[in-house]
Amino acid sequence: MEAGGDAAAPAPGDAQDLEDTQDLEGTQFPSEETGDGGVLSGPLDPGDGELEETGPKAEDEPPSRLSPLPQPEVPSSTCEHWNSAASDSSPIHGPESGCGGQGGDPSDEDWRNQRKHVFVLSEAGKPIYSRYGSVEALSATMGVMTALVSFVQTAGDNIRAIYAEDHKLVFLQQGPLLLVAMSRTPQSAAQLRGELLAVHAQIVSTLTRASVARIFAHKQNYDLRRLLAGSERTLDRLLDNVERDPGALLLGAVRCVPLARPLRDALGTLLRRCTAPGLALSVLAVGGRLITAAQERNVLAECRLDPADLQLLLDWVGAPAFAAGEAWAPVCLPRFNPDGFFYAYVARLDSMPVCLLLLGTHREAFHAMAACRRLVEDGMRSLGALRALGEAANFSSSQEASAPAYSVQAVGAPGLRHFLYKPLDIPDHHRQLPQFTSPELEAPYNREEERQRLSDLYHRLHARLHSTSRPLRLIYHVAEKETLLAWVTSKFELYTCLSPLVTKAGAILVVTKLLRWVKKEEDRLFIRCPPKYSTPPASSADQAPHNGLFTGL
Amino acid sequence: MRRPDAKVVLLGGASVGKTSLLRRYTERRFPDSVSTVGGAFYLKPWRSLHLSLWDTAGREQFHGLGSMYCRGAAAVILTYDVTHPQSLVELEDRFLGLTDSASKDCLFAIVGNKVDLMEQGREGNGGPHACPRSREVLREDAVALYKKILRYRMLDEKDMPPAEQMCFETSAKTGYNVDLLFETVFDMVVPMVLQHKAEEPVETVDITSQKPPKHTRSGCCT
Repeated sequence: MEAGGDAAAPAPGDAQDLEDTQDLEGTQFPSEETGDGGVLSGPLDPGDGELEETGPKAEDEPPSRLSPLPQPEVPSSTCEHWNSAASDSSPIHGPESGCGGQGGDPSDEDWRNQRKHVFVLSEAGKPIYSRYGSVEALSATMGVMTALVSFVQTAGDNIRAIYAEDHKLVFLQQGPLLLVAMSRTPQSAAQLRGELLAVHAQIVSTLTRASVARIFAHKQNYDLRRLLAGSERTLDRLLDNVERDPGALLLGAVRCVPLARPLRDALGTLLRRCTAPGLALSVLAVGGRLITAAQERNVLAECRLDPADLQLLLDWVGAPAFAAGEAWAPVCLPRFNPDGFFYAYVARLDSMPVCLLLLGTHREAFHAMAACRRLVEDGMRSLGALRALGEAANFSSSQEASAPAYSVQAVGAPGLRHFLYKPLDIPDHHRQLPQFTSPELEAPYNREEERQRLSDLYHRLHARLHSTSRPLRLIYHVAEKETLLAWVTSKFELYTCLSPLVTKAGAILVVTKLLRWVKKEEDRLFIRCPPKYSTPPASSADQAPHNGLFTGL
Repeated sequence: MRRPDAKVVLLGGASVGKTSLLRRYTERRFPDSVSTVGGAFYLKPWRSLHLSLWDTAGREQFHGLGSMYCRGAAAVILTYDVTHPQSLVELEDRFLGLTDSASKDCLFAIVGNKVDLMEQGREGNGGPHACPRSREVLREDAVALYKKILRYRMLDEKDMPPAEQMCFETSAKTGYNVDLLFETVFDMVVPMVLQHKAEEPVETVDITSQKPPKHTRSGCCT
């Protein structure tokens, strides 16, 4: 594995790879067309799930190292092997100084003490991303991972996870990319896999799966970092969010801004009214939370927008790059169509943190979208919505930059510290927009390590509730510094964090109170009736069974 | 919103300071840099005109949209980093081709940013964290590129502003030459726009007065 294998100057063909990626322009259903670049479009590549036979060559790994290899999914003692392999590699890197303050050298104490590492590498073992440290310093470590994967592959099998004492290693192969999580958090392998999938989706959203595949088919040892430069921060933020605010990824749901229903409905109507040619989806968001969204039925309804795609967009528009000016950028929705780009118009409205995202299929439609934005802005001004949003969402008091939130005090249940609530009894036609609500994290969860502890507890409970072998419905868990109660029914999925002194009967009381409060507030907490462009005016909206955003089958 | 009268595009490799130059000019400050996603649009009133300014991402992943941002541009500001010779080479290799979609009499400015780093290197007093760097790109190299661009665009040097006037060295950090750069370019764009307007009055169709009649299809009962 030589690191300097690729030329410094970009080959002209590389940029072309991106340009060729299939546009969605004029495509009603993404599965219909083949892009002009000969791109595979629509349904999954037949070869996607399979492992490619052109395996990486682990030539600088002596075969003896591979001998203590474990069987997949079998707890073993690979940890020592891992560690020794990692420290073996240290002399190679020389004076490489790590980025982001982390040494990055596998022998570096700080680096080794991280609770969780996430790596992305190419099939040829070329490092692409590491959460901590500099990827340059990790080539040897990544070589070991490639070796593990290809060793199991030659036996006609797939390595999924390695359990070693308190460490879990989870492997996920996605086309020519290999993603690895190495964790000693209480997250289950399934949860870690979910996180790796989100990392992969993030990469696909900037490059598309088709161009990643084409790039590596063209040149196996291509350095993908060149194309991902600048996106590492987005990946870092994604992974940090799992530790700080795990709701979205854990529950597979988006969080809405609490808002009075008439105002939310009025905003939905406004979005539906302001259209532009090729516009497929309009989203109003603030601080990564959804205010409302509306979609064009012809473009999206048949294929439905996946909540993971919506969450990806919500995270994406929160990037600092969108703080000024009106942005126009390509973005791919990996669940909707991993091989094509949409074009996104992103702007902050009226110098508020409220963000408007207009997603369309026309590459050159910037000015039409900008005009559409002005309509939305004018409409919001005449509704008094921006001021109302400012008040309702209570921007200033929150610690997160401009994240609107409410206090757990609002519930009026003493002893309740925090909760995550995901309704499951939403009307049938809204099933495609899973939502959840949770209050602001307040003391004692305002410090990093406290948040991490709470996130760990939520992950632990979630893993128990959703265990494939022995799922549970109700868990009462007395932890060292708090008591937790997790409960899943046909109507909701709920995680509560209570004071450590609460009794079992007291906990039941608190949860009953909370459920009553959620019921009372549900119109404010959740989007009950997501709007759509092509539906008739709102009067009969409630009755129309096909009226929902993300209509399911 | 008024339709912008002319378009000015900032092009150049990643982290050469395009966004920082623009923010220094518009906000008079040098904030922490962020990596631009796609392109960002700003509307700038200038004299009697409204100019649109496109701040583009230098990252390779957004290369595909480059020609779209440049379409019909009246001026292109090609930016490089004076401490990074590769960034000047990239202007020719990666970015010049994108300007094919620009207006045919498009103006070019070549800007070497980050001269503050260079000066620190010269004084040998770069502060605690700034690593003093030596001058890596000579102004003559930029001038040579400018002439090459004119040849590439098949423009006569005599008809275009001289290289000395269109090659700048700036510092977004200190603000050195930043106003000069933008104002020079804007001032050159104004007469171009006015001239275009004078030359082609016929081609400007006022669509507000020529709405296609909507009832043409009313004969078809669907």
